[in-house]
Amino acid sequence: MSERSPDPVVTELVRNGVIAITEEMKTNLTRTAYNMIIYEALDFTVGLFTAKGETVSIGLGLPMFIRGMAETVKAKLRHFGDDIGPGDILLTNDAYITGSHLNHLTFSMPIFDDGILVGFAVCMAHWPDIGGTLDGMTTDIYSEGLQIPILKYQRAGKVNRDLLDILRMNVRLPERAMGDLRAQLTAIASGERRFLELIRRYGREEVLDSIATIMDQSEAAARARALAIPDGVYEAESFMDDDGVDIAQPVPIRVRAIVDGDRVTVDLSDVSEQVKGFYNSGVTTGFACSQVAFKCLTSPTDYPINDGSFRNLEVVVPMGRIVSAEKPAPMRWWMTFPMTIVDTVFKALAPAIPERIVAGHHADLIIGMLNGVNPETSEFYIAFIGPTGGGWGAKQAEDGNSATICMNDGDTHNSPVEQLEAKYPLLFEAHALRPDSCGAGRQRGGLGIENVVQARAPLTVNTQIDRVHCAPWGLGGGGDAMGNAVALRREGTWRDDFPNAKVFTARLGPGEAFALRSGGGGGFGPPLERSIEAVAHDVRQGYVTPEAAFRDYGVVCDAATLAVDVEASEKIRAAKATLAAAGGSAEG
Amino acid sequence: MADPEITGGLRLAADIGGTFTDIAAFDPATGALRLGKALSTPAHLVDGIAAGVDRADVAFSDAALFLHGSTIAINTMLERTGARAALVITKGFRDIYEIGRVNRPDSYNLFFKKHRPLIERAMCFELDERMLAEGEPLTPLDESEVRALGEKLAGLDVEAVAILLLHSYRNPDHEKRTKAILESSLPGAFVTASYELSQEYREFERCSTVAANAYIGPGVRRYLDEIGEHLQTQSFPGAFLVVQSTGGLYDVAQARHDCVHMLESGPAAGVIAGRALARAAGIENAITFDMGGTTAKSGVIYGGEALTTGSAMIGGYEQGLPVQIAMMDIFEVGTGGGSIARTDAQGALRVGPESAGATPGPACYGSGGTAPTVTDANLILGRIAPDRFLGGAMTLDPDAAFEAMKTDIADPLGMGVVEAAAGVLQIAATAMSFAVKGVSTERGLDAGEFVLVACGGAGPLHASAVAREIGMREIVVPPAPGHFSAIGMLHADLRYDYVRTWFARLSEAPLDEVERLYAEMEAQGRAAVSATGAEVTEIVAGRAADMRYVGQEHAVTVELPAGLFAAGDRDAIKTRFDEVHAVRYGTSAPEEPAELVSLRTTVAGLLAKPPMVRGADGGSADPAPLETRRIYFSETGDFVVTPVYARVDLGAGADLDGPAVIEEEASTTLLLPGDSLGVDGYGNLRIRVGSGGR
Repeated sequence: MSERSPDPVVTELVRNGVIAITEEMKTNLTRTAYNMIIYEALDFTVGLFTAKGETVSIGLGLPMFIRGMAETVKAKLRHFGDDIGPGDILLTNDAYITGSHLNHLTFSMPIFDDGILVGFAVCMAHWPDIGGTLDGMTTDIYSEGLQIPILKYQRAGKVNRDLLDILRMNVRLPERAMGDLRAQLTAIASGERRFLELIRRYGREEVLDSIATIMDQSEAAARARALAIPDGVYEAESFMDDDGVDIAQPVPIRVRAIVDGDRVTVDLSDVSEQVKGFYNSGVTTGFACSQVAFKCLTSPTDYPINDGSFRNLEVVVPMGRIVSAEKPAPMRWWMTFPMTIVDTVFKALAPAIPERIVAGHHADLIIGMLNGVNPETSEFYIAFIGPTGGGWGAKQAEDGNSATICMNDGDTHNSPVEQLEAKYPLLFEAHALRPDSCGAGRQRGGLGIENVVQARAPLTVNTQIDRVHCAPWGLGGGGDAMGNAVALRREGTWRDDFPNAKVFTARLGPGEAFALRSGGGGGFGPPLERSIEAVAHDVRQGYVTPEAAFRDYGVVCDAATLAVDVEASEKIRAAKATLAAAGGSAEG
Repeated sequence: MADPEITGGLRLAADIGGTFTDIAAFDPATGALRLGKALSTPAHLVDGIAAGVDRADVAFSDAALFLHGSTIAINTMLERTGARAALVITKGFRDIYEIGRVNRPDSYNLFFKKHRPLIERAMCFELDERMLAEGEPLTPLDESEVRALGEKLAGLDVEAVAILLLHSYRNPDHEKRTKAILESSLPGAFVTASYELSQEYREFERCSTVAANAYIGPGVRRYLDEIGEHLQTQSFPGAFLVVQSTGGLYDVAQARHDCVHMLESGPAAGVIAGRALARAAGIENAITFDMGGTTAKSGVIYGGEALTTGSAMIGGYEQGLPVQIAMMDIFEVGTGGGSIARTDAQGALRVGPESAGATPGPACYGSGGTAPTVTDANLILGRIAPDRFLGGAMTLDPDAAFEAMKTDIADPLGMGVVEAAAGVLQIAATAMSFAVKGVSTERGLDAGEFVLVACGGAGPLHASAVAREIGMREIVVPPAPGHFSAIGMLHADLRYDYVRTWFARLSEAPLDEVERLYAEMEAQGRAAVSATGAEVTEIVAGRAADMRYVGQEHAVTVELPAGLFAAGDRDAIKTRFDEVHAVRYGTSAPEEPAELVSLRTTVAGLLAKPPMVRGADGGSADPAPLETRRIYFSETGDFVVTPVYARVDLGAGADLDGPAVIEEEASTTLLLPGDSLGVDGYGNLRIRVGSGGR
């Protein structure tokens, strides 16, 4: 029996229930997956969806996957219409539907209760290889691997063997791929089983009504929080270094956020058109990065992640942009640019809700891809250094966090140095914070990291890093941070004067080294408003050097003892403040 | 194999918890188990022990063994009341403690917090030395540099020093030498090196472990010495042993150095008690469910052994600090008797994780709390007696509970107060069922096939609802569930865990070298056991190896019979690994090569155990209820006149059908309609869980 408003107790039990189901799906996937990109880097998403493809609960995975699976389910519903039955499993990796690269295979299992479609259990996971070229830049989707249109992996319980053969023939690591495929099927099967248990326990109508209520509650919360943002049209811009093909040709990012009562529109019409290099993503990612920004501002700690939270968000994104790329745009490194769009939305809304946003962050995974032959085993290896983590922006009332993974990733871990050195012919000379990499401010940004890695045997290094030139920005008078950077040491000499941080196929000999430097976070508020004590603390800890303390904050310290001369500092700060008030630069 | 008969003097255990200090004492001469409970005395914890010992009516002078678990270590860490400590670290790596693993679990929260190191950056000092992954020095240790650093640290008045040098798990020479020099430069300081605690790779985790040891070391050492002095004044003639986070015991002399091993001693002892109970009752697989005022915790007994893990996060996953040592694998959720129920702005009903704690406490405590809690819901539904709480030490106010539930939950949601209270309990039960399931799902085990062992003050009250959520069919409530951890200590063995990271392909690993490493660790363990002065019946060593497929990052721990390495049986080792991988991860790849990551050894000095008999025997096989009380059950949708029994009246062979309530001093057991209960020969309540839920 259907009720307009279900029992609040059942609603809470269903809320906890769907979260538990997606957590269990996640555990089962990571427990049974074969490749470490899934179980270490958490490059996957699992979820439950309504019969219409709306998100009920998502188990992350990476934060940027907040939208991709719902769009994929909806596309499958459009494709098959009524031709979806019990025992079917739907599959695709169409990059222009999922929004990301071809490595992301999405399996969806319709859930039927008494012959009625009540939802979908879905799993997207990253396969280590899907074919395509092995190295370097790609310039179209065909060079990136096998494309699988929307089709049935399984129909009425019968697996499509022909498809399996095609998959096996087209990937470089077929055994691992089949292992991951089985893990994904395990995850969606457990989702289906648990969801049906929930229905048997509390009743179909009660569960579906509860889900509708949970979404309504999420919507009400999002509307209330959006209402608290002053109405207006807010704009900001930033840019990417380049697309890796047209070197040193900046890629503009312009966003507009329109707040009207309890509704928010994110307009990405003016972000760059799709680019030649592999930094594009599909339109789903245009929606996803807008949703990520919106969730961070309106429901950051609300779970389950569901579509109710986004009913008052409209996203405008014409086709053919870097986050709405059309065939045959290459998408292999899809994850870099959208992070900067998220940050730029925060920048736009900073004047409206300074208490809820952060200054710019380093916004890149900062990964060094290596390959070579290990002299100890004589085996060819492929390894990666990172994700490095870097500085996050300051907030109105808090300093930024140092050394933390960028927005695209969440619970992703770096690899221990002791592990990397034991496994590969590498020697880390440093794995350290970058003093002064933080943006100055009343609240300062977080610090970036420097990894200096020496080759003990010949190896090749590739980097795809951006945000060298568009440094993480400060807000409200706060200073910019240092951007990301790459440096190479060859024949004893360091070189870091590259046009960007995209180093393709750099060969290093024994004793030569590369450095990955992640940017800091931007500052918040005028640096002169930071107390002398706080600056003294930063200098004592070595986060800020005495030179920077003087330059940015007018704080005088002894280079040897680090002791602060309070009197001299006060004088200089007063003079700087007068200068600033007279229209000069507070930065002196 | 039956445990050998216990002989000799009194065995006395003290478990210090946040609220209470529990004493359990077993007298081999009379076979009597005596219990004492006193309020913990945070300012001077030894006073609580003395009071509890008096309450139990026993004396230290009669004791042969004193077994102790305490929250001192964990509280020092969580409350940040530790020593002024410095970290000495390899050049280029000063920041690894602060950098951590760079992950961001709270993914959409721009106001996320990173872990906060126990030692600030200004107190981290580099040494220009470097060991290679192969264990060969690249840059030798410069002893004059270490001595100069020692002088500098002396000038900074440090109380403790942690030493972390890269690859010390492979070759600890530099750490050893650094420690020796710093100890001579800093007399009286607590100096600790990472290799002493963990010889496993992962520099951040090892660093965090040794930093924690330095940070808590001086305080824990003072505390243990204070107890030692108290024991001396009481003419205690026996051995003083401390409970580790594995549930095993170690000598106080070692506890004074390796303090991090006692971080989770209380919860671990609860699981050891569960293991003792399971073994005695012939139960292979059990999950303990320990519910108190603020949390519910679960551990697993599988195949008769308590499951341990190689590391844990202290202070929660999101901002916690890792400690890389063997520990009981315990899963925790923030739901307990004090969990607060509330209605959010969107009209949703939420329970926890905010807790009213002991102060202001649940509304019914009448000590300032006004928010309705799980305890208030129990009182409203008649499940606990207002005049017999904590053995009558505290009177509860049902009107205050009713009023709080009405104002905060029932009225805003348009529900009846009773309906609201029942809803709060059901939501709490599902939340706690996730803790119970959590410990098993990750290992690929099915919780429904396990027996639930309910303990802690609130565990037996909620166990049946939790079991139904999971589909568990049997519950065991031990005698004195509120003293379960202290009783568990009486059943613990001496235990020393060792691990050495040692990367090698299984097909190429020199097995005689592996054998030598195991033998070395075992010898170390045997020496440690012998040094304790406790009388052991047998010393047993267990071997395991962390293994993975070549190319994988994650390793799984595989237990290996000692003979496999000695016989050089690589195929048998590989097969064992494939099997464990299949259970844990659902897949295996027998055709793929495997590698060794770390070698693990556990050396146990077995102590004679007290027999599992009731402390105060008696009771009837056909007990009469104390009274009847009207109790609400969702199963019936109404208040039902329910018999209430005193636990002491239930003798072996007693048989009851639910609904029923069994009360004892620090705990209440609830049988839901459909449940039935028997009492076994050990005085355990054995509950067969009825079917059906809400």
